[in-house]
Amino acid sequence: MRKSTLLNILTWIVLIPATLFLGTQIKGRWYYLTCTLIIIEAMIPFFLAFETRKPQARELVTIAVMCALAVASRVAILLPGFKPITAIIMITGIALGPEAGFMTGAISAFASNFFFSQGPWTPWQMMAYGFGGFLAGLVFYGKKKRHRPVVMAVFGFFAILLLIGPLLDCCTIFTTAPKLTWKYAVTVFTLGVTYNLKHAISCAVTILLLSKALLDKLDRLIKKYGMMEVREQ
Amino acid sequence: MRYDAFSKCHPLTNFLFFLGAIGFTVVFQHPMYLAASCFSAAVYLLLLNGKRAWKLILGMIPVFLFLTLVNPLFNTYGKRVLWYVFGKPYTLEALYYGMAIAGIFVAMMLWFGCYSVVLTSDKFICLFGSLIPAISLLLVMVLRMIPNLVRKTKQILDARKSIGKGLGETSSAKEKAADGMNVLSALTDWALEGSIITGDSMRSRGYGTARRTSFQLYRMTGVDWALACVFLLLGALVIAAGGTEATYTPELFIAPTTWGLGAYLIYLLLPSILHIKEAIQWSISISKI
Repeated sequence: MRKSTLLNILTWIVLIPATLFLGTQIKGRWYYLTCTLIIIEAMIPFFLAFETRKPQARELVTIAVMCALAVASRVAILLPGFKPITAIIMITGIALGPEAGFMTGAISAFASNFFFSQGPWTPWQMMAYGFGGFLAGLVFYGKKKRHRPVVMAVFGFFAILLLIGPLLDCCTIFTTAPKLTWKYAVTVFTLGVTYNLKHAISCAVTILLLSKALLDKLDRLIKKYGMMEVREQ
Repeated sequence: MRYDAFSKCHPLTNFLFFLGAIGFTVVFQHPMYLAASCFSAAVYLLLLNGKRAWKLILGMIPVFLFLTLVNPLFNTYGKRVLWYVFGKPYTLEALYYGMAIAGIFVAMMLWFGCYSVVLTSDKFICLFGSLIPAISLLLVMVLRMIPNLVRKTKQILDARKSIGKGLGETSSAKEKAADGMNVLSALTDWALEGSIITGDSMRSRGYGTARRTSFQLYRMTGVDWALACVFLLLGALVIAAGGTEATYTPELFIAPTTWGLGAYLIYLLLPSILHIKEAIQWSISISKI
């Protein structure tokens, strides 16, 4: 068995249950720490897979460029509530695969927080954005015929509204909840809907506008330079 | 950023401090400990950022009030009922508890504000560079590329202007959008093609052929080790001293404070003390000249 597979299994079978168990055993407000630890631990397999695979230089730099574009879109565009960052992450996932999508999402979230501020939300954003890229890659990557932008936009809209947005809201719940109750969670989720809706719409609009151009460029890059096909030693 | 003595320490010492400070803050609900944490975080943030820090600190006051007042709406346990909202009791205990939760949140935000100033990206990479080499290289490249992208965007805009394709005063929204798309298209093309060239150049210079070494700007000095040991010792003392328990609902119980609070305060104020000590030394040595 490869070392990374072993570590993955260890993470899921030992580390996360152990954290959960310890977190529930100790009294007091340990749940924020417990949940954040679990989020970080859940990201370990992705990072490990990327590290142990020893990514090629070209692939590494291409992912870096997509991250930089995503971060720049978050930092430079100052329209309030308009967040194209998730759309760019999803497009990367679609073009380069789920794993690259996850890396782009997680690294973009982390790097962009150097421009804003790191906070209790950092691991959650990394997970949420990474998951967005991963999911988009899982659904759309590697298909012979590319899907129409409308399909991808609809996917992006619902992915944010139903999964990514609520995942980000979880951070708010865990940091501000007096006691973890369903009532409080439901209230935060319903309050978050308007915000998530804005996020989802901006993502869908960006995908509609940009996905064709960006995917063309990435596909051309892959074809022109034979990336992703031969993994040299 | 101003000169800060603690920021000049090894990243490991910095990281250890913030791990303890934020970790303790999140877990302790005792009002005295929370007040100590909020106070020290605000002091350190003020020393780090000067006047700019007031914006964050003052901005936290409405957040504190909001979280405090909202809590009793969800948490109806408690004996002393103040009044009824929508037929549900609004209790004093729950209000106190809301204050504690809000205090934790505010202290955490302030500490993260300090963290962002002290633990810059280069320090993070110094800490984790050897553990996750590919990912930290990715991070370095991303952070380096962003100013590059901004510079290139300006070049593209200038070039377009000089061939008469720039935007004028009378451009309509449609023209602006089309122009934006063109600029973005040129920018992505340039960046992606550049990435291949960079990647090939990295490969031909031997990327991935051996274990990567990294340039270390920071070295653990005696002072760094000593500080790290002091943090560990104080942290252990805080835990050993106890007296950090406090429950608010259904019944108010606050443990009597012990000397652990003193250890906690020293722990949290140590970076500020270092900062002030350095500033005083500096002014003395200047006055001697």
